[in-house]
Amino acid sequence: MMYGLPVDFVPTGYDPSLFMLAGYLLGLLATLILGAIVLGILTLPAFFLVLFGVEQLASVVAHLSGAFAAKLVVIMFRGLRRAPLRTSLTYVALFSLTFVLCLIYAVLFLINYVTAEKEANFKAIVTHKTLIPSQMPPGYYEEFKRVCLEELPPELRPVNGDLDLMSWSFVLTTTDKTNPRRDALIFLFALEPNKVLTMMDGLEELTGDERQQLQAAADEMMRNPQAIVMSKRQLKTLNLQVGQRVKSYGMNYPNLTFEFEIIGELPEGRYEGVAFMNRVYLLQLLDAYRNDRTVNKTGEPHPMAEKCVNLMWVRLPNRMAFERLSALINDPKYFGKVPIKMETASSGIGSWLAAYKDIFWGMKYILVPAMIAIMSLVVANAISISVRERRTEMAVLKVLGFQPRHVLALVLGEALLVGFLAGIMSSGLAWGALGSFKFQIMFFGSFFVPVQSLIYAPALGMTVAVAGSIGPAWNAKNVKVAEVFARLS
Amino acid sequence: MPPAQPLVRVRNLYKSFTRGSETIDVLQDLNLDVGQAEFLALMGPSGSGKTTLLNLIAGLDQPTSGTIMVGDNVISEMSESELARWRTRHVGFVFQFYYLLPVLTAYENVELPLLLLPLSRQQRRKQVETALELVGLSHRMHHRPGQLSGGQQQRVGIARAIVTDPELIVADEPTGDLDTRSANEILTLLDTLRSQLGKTIIMVTHDPKAAARAQRVLHLEKGQLVHDTAAAPLLAAQAS
Repeated sequence: MMYGLPVDFVPTGYDPSLFMLAGYLLGLLATLILGAIVLGILTLPAFFLVLFGVEQLASVVAHLSGAFAAKLVVIMFRGLRRAPLRTSLTYVALFSLTFVLCLIYAVLFLINYVTAEKEANFKAIVTHKTLIPSQMPPGYYEEFKRVCLEELPPELRPVNGDLDLMSWSFVLTTTDKTNPRRDALIFLFALEPNKVLTMMDGLEELTGDERQQLQAAADEMMRNPQAIVMSKRQLKTLNLQVGQRVKSYGMNYPNLTFEFEIIGELPEGRYEGVAFMNRVYLLQLLDAYRNDRTVNKTGEPHPMAEKCVNLMWVRLPNRMAFERLSALINDPKYFGKVPIKMETASSGIGSWLAAYKDIFWGMKYILVPAMIAIMSLVVANAISISVRERRTEMAVLKVLGFQPRHVLALVLGEALLVGFLAGIMSSGLAWGALGSFKFQIMFFGSFFVPVQSLIYAPALGMTVAVAGSIGPAWNAKNVKVAEVFARLS
Repeated sequence: MPPAQPLVRVRNLYKSFTRGSETIDVLQDLNLDVGQAEFLALMGPSGSGKTTLLNLIAGLDQPTSGTIMVGDNVISEMSESELARWRTRHVGFVFQFYYLLPVLTAYENVELPLLLLPLSRQQRRKQVETALELVGLSHRMHHRPGQLSGGQQQRVGIARAIVTDPELIVADEPTGDLDTRSANEILTLLDTLRSQLGKTIIMVTHDPKAAARAQRVLHLEKGQLVHDTAAAPLLAAQAS
């Protein structure tokens, strides 16, 4: 048996890893929902405090203005506080729903963001055609630059010349050669420091100070190839500080010993858990290896010497330039040693994500509607209990001359208030808390909850509340006064 | 003994309900006049149709056929929303179980019907305070129903009924949930509303002693009027 399937089931074409992945995701979702419920319960005191505060405010407004609508709102608030258990249940349900959907929305938003074509910042990525991870000779980068800056027609060349080109080499090192445990690892991008601010994604929103600091660090790295900048988290994990020197041993570059000087920190929330180094230093060490007879008795080049470029980037003026360059890339006249391919940055990420497209589809079109439907039922149930309990009160209001629409507004209003508050509190928490943690997802930049969630979540909370309460509210609106009193008498 | 100047005129009133395939005639060809500033009691066994008649006169329900006029208004021909508007201005309701909104204070409960009228805050305040003063509860206007006794809650109910200054007050077993002393206080209050403010009061009751406080008592049985008497002989008959 594998993952609960008979062995002979595997060769029919089903990939059991997908089942496992689906299992993991379901588990993750269940944990997320459970966590959201716990958070909802924990925020209940805050919710009632807000409810009470706004009620007091509404009371003052109602008292001063004497407006009918304001008085109706006060009745709604008091109605909510009157049945704390039921209000709590509705709140927790709506909070959990909006919180989880906020996170799902954030994931979908991030995917959309990283896979969307950006005409104004049209970046292409060049990698090895078949090899994963991609590895290319360093000469390819020089040739790539030449092709971009000389072979392309002038109007299709990168606008800023060499500054619009960049290469990445991934370097994994450890500070503890004998025991390369997780907290001793340093993951570095070897690149051209002077291009960090213009070519790296996710740095557009830096503050003026952060930008200045990073620019100063880049300048220093250009002067001193051994200088590196590291994320705060990485520094903390390694128990290092800016200004310290650190000796580190290559793991994917065996027998290379790096001596870094930490000269700065990467801005928080961007490229967490990594460091940037000057690619010149990597190339120097690879050259030095050839002549280092202590570790290389035969004088052979380093095994990674011809594989040390992992990715190459170029910013192009438009799609036509991409098409022309793509044709040149595929020409063996220029790149005959190893086959390479070029994609737009978004399509590159998009093809990586393609394997998960069914999962994302399921999230969007099955999970989200299912959650909304279930939560609507929960809300409808809670509100219909509330309406049934207060049938006589509704009838009395009608006796006093309240119109059916007033009764409808009263019931819907209560639901809308809870939906709005639950939505604003859940999205506020998700946005604020996750914004503070800023955890990195691969090269996508920090995972973040978009600020739009602060609008969408309350809107969703209110929509679900209305969907759940429209039936009970309609019943309340149509309550027959004489029938209610006849039943009571 | 038809009153000289009727406020309420009921003519050929029929009301029936359908339960499954069965039709139940609750009121049958009922005719009735209730005078201005008259205190009328409706009595009869359970199911005789007295509450149904009260609901119809108060505009809470529509008759199957027949006409009901209150003042110059033919309420039997009004739509639901017209009736709602009419009720706010012309009828005050007093219920057996008070039916105050527990989340509102006495003041706010009494103010409720006024919210539907085009009055300023000052005008509303004045009317609410007058109504609460009239029922002797000025000092408890900021208490919630849960903080008041049954008798006090019923007085708040009466204040709510009179706050819009309606000409007609309908009361369904207003003393049914009260002890004798509180019941007497409420009946005295209703009588005062009639004698001093000229309100017409129609009260449904099972209690002969309560009915005896009215000027006239109507007996219903199986949806028809069977007696129309002055209250004093009734009390004497009950006593003997």
